[in-house]
Amino acid sequence: MPKKKNPSTAPLIETRKLCKSYCNDELETPVLHDIDLTIHEEEFISIMGPSGSGKSTLMHILGFLDQPTSGKFLFRGEPTRTMSDDELAAIRATRVSFVFQAFNLLPRTTVLDNVILPLLYHPTIPPSERIERGMNAIEAVGLTDRATYFTNQLSGGQQQRVAIARALVTSPDIIFADEPTGNLDSTSGSQVMEALQDLHDRGGRTIILVTHEQSTAAHAKRIIHLLDGRIDSDSKKFKRVTAKNNHNLKK
Amino acid sequence: MLLNDTFRAAERSLNRNKSRSLLTMLGVIIGVGSVVLMTSVGASMEHLILGQISSIGAQSMVVFPGQQEGAEGTIVAGLDSLSFEDINALEKLSTVTSVAPAIMVGVDYATFGREKTEPRVIGTVPNYFQNREVTIQRGRLLEESDIRAARNVVVLGSEIVDDLFGRQNPIGERVKLGARSYEVIGTLESIGTQFFQNADEFVFIPLTTARAQNVQKYVNVVSMQSVGDFDLAQYDVETLLRRRHGIINPEGDSDKDDFIVRTSAQANDILGAVSLGLTLFITMVASISLIVGGIGIMNIMLVSVTERTREIGLRKAVGAKRRDILLQFLVEAIALTMFAGIIGVAFGLGLALLTAAIADKFLPTYDFVISYPSIGMALAMAFAVGLGFGIYPARKAARLSPMNALRYE
Ligand SMILES: Nc1ncnc2c1ncn2[C@@H]1O[C@H](COP(=O)(O)OP(=O)(O)OP(=O)(O)O)[C@@H](O)[C@H]1O
Ligand SMILES: [Mg+2]
Repeated sequence: MPKKKNPSTAPLIETRKLCKSYCNDELETPVLHDIDLTIHEEEFISIMGPSGSGKSTLMHILGFLDQPTSGKFLFRGEPTRTMSDDELAAIRATRVSFVFQAFNLLPRTTVLDNVILPLLYHPTIPPSERIERGMNAIEAVGLTDRATYFTNQLSGGQQQRVAIARALVTSPDIIFADEPTGNLDSTSGSQVMEALQDLHDRGGRTIILVTHEQSTAAHAKRIIHLLDGRIDSDSKKFKRVTAKNNHNLKK
Repeated sequence: MLLNDTFRAAERSLNRNKSRSLLTMLGVIIGVGSVVLMTSVGASMEHLILGQISSIGAQSMVVFPGQQEGAEGTIVAGLDSLSFEDINALEKLSTVTSVAPAIMVGVDYATFGREKTEPRVIGTVPNYFQNREVTIQRGRLLEESDIRAARNVVVLGSEIVDDLFGRQNPIGERVKLGARSYEVIGTLESIGTQFFQNADEFVFIPLTTARAQNVQKYVNVVSMQSVGDFDLAQYDVETLLRRRHGIINPEGDSDKDDFIVRTSAQANDILGAVSLGLTLFITMVASISLIVGGIGIMNIMLVSVTERTREIGLRKAVGAKRRDILLQFLVEAIALTMFAGIIGVAFGLGLALLTAAIADKFLPTYDFVISYPSIGMALAMAFAVGLGFGIYPARKAARLSPMNALRYE
């Protein structure tokens, strides 16, 4: 079911001179410098760049998980800086979801319980649908036979897929995925890419993913390169690889 | 987040972190348990000590010879200022009744066959037993006829019975007090200590029998009970004795008297003082237990802050509001501390009961007493600490951005 188009003409995400520095013990580490970025609805973007270039940092800010140090960050034309904690929580619950580079699963908790965690905080999805939605998301990443396992009984790749299933479960408008195929072999990697692509192509979702792999990035319609915390290049692609006709992602 | 979900999330989180939950509970159990134990033992001790003092009946008055310097001052005892004529005069007063003089008889040993013990022999009258709260165990108490006939009969305290007869029935047997032989007519239930004297090593013979072998012309102590107004009775007794002893003391200055009046009102004053002292002591012990228990709970809760902070970060990242987080942690902390608190109370009471069972072997009058306020206080402490150290870090973590919470170390 294609998503209704927002009547507002404002882009989904817009940043102006966005900067981020980490401050630890009086030591300031500038990471992002003057990021100007506009992302529209239904885009499929890959962010690439060397390790330490600030990809994850940028994703966390765009995904409402962290605050920029300075600059503007508008969501559907609205400045996020002035949003209350509850408003931000509501956006995280319904609009965006995040696949962490470090997975961040609840330990000693089953796969299913991890996957349905976001549904506990979703305002409109009724509790009776939780299990079904959870199992569907788990199926989409090919872990149905592991649904009742504890997350610490899974391999790294399986854990990564649980993290992806958790991001899919609420069918959010935007999915941020920080190296979602980093720990996966080519088969499960393309399975994950297939699921993401499906959400984009048929569900009209906006996908923003970070990857090191050229072949994974090739699924996107737009590729942004970061270098030392700045946008090095931002290019639209017209010829796109799809996971369906290229089952073995080249590593 | 639905309330139902909050409860389930809390329950799962407690279950998932069993060892942490158990450790926290252990802290609460030890904290609450030790407070309940200490205060219960303290309250039992208080009960025991107060029992000694309150064993003078409410309407009782005791007069003994001697001089007291100041109302609370030292007593110069051993004076021979109370005569039997004084007793006769006291008996004529309408405001007192049950006048019971008693004299000490100097006897070194009581013997039965080859058994031997050291009793304290008191010559007295039946009224004596009414003025003190004593219970007969076997046989009978002294009676008027024993007094009139100056019979050689004796009523034994429980310790003397144990020493001389063991498990045998002493009634009808003859014991020797010094050189004379007496028939045992009754034995008393254990009284324990009264006024810090071991009342169980007393033996009682008729006053007349005692006087027949004692040249003593004075009374060691006389007890009585007031009829009607207590203060009036005390006034009458004091006035009578002063007049008979030629003492001019209209101010009621105890220095000038050659006798001392002890009343249950005074006993109540002592009781109050002792009670206050004990209460302070118990409060102090309980506070220390509270602090120690509290620190235990606090430590365990603080140890888990890192993991909890990450969990909070994750929950926030998937859409939890601050309120959702706080509610979950609140429910967790309440459930944990209340559950553990109840176990702690049961544990403390169990140990107190055990203590009572053991103490009963040595102190027959030791009773098991539950201190309800301290149970409330202990639970409140567990609650406050559990809540404080459960909620405060959660509140702090819930204010962080999800990423900062997830990265917390
Ligand atoms: N919490 C932090 N405190 C201080 N510096 C940080 C913190 N997190 C990241 N950095 C620094 O910010 C820079 C960018 O980190 P980031 O995680 O965004 O890189 P990345 O592009 O995602 O790298 P990778 O491809 O290895 O995941 C790094 O140099 C890192 O040292
Ligand atoms: Mg990264």
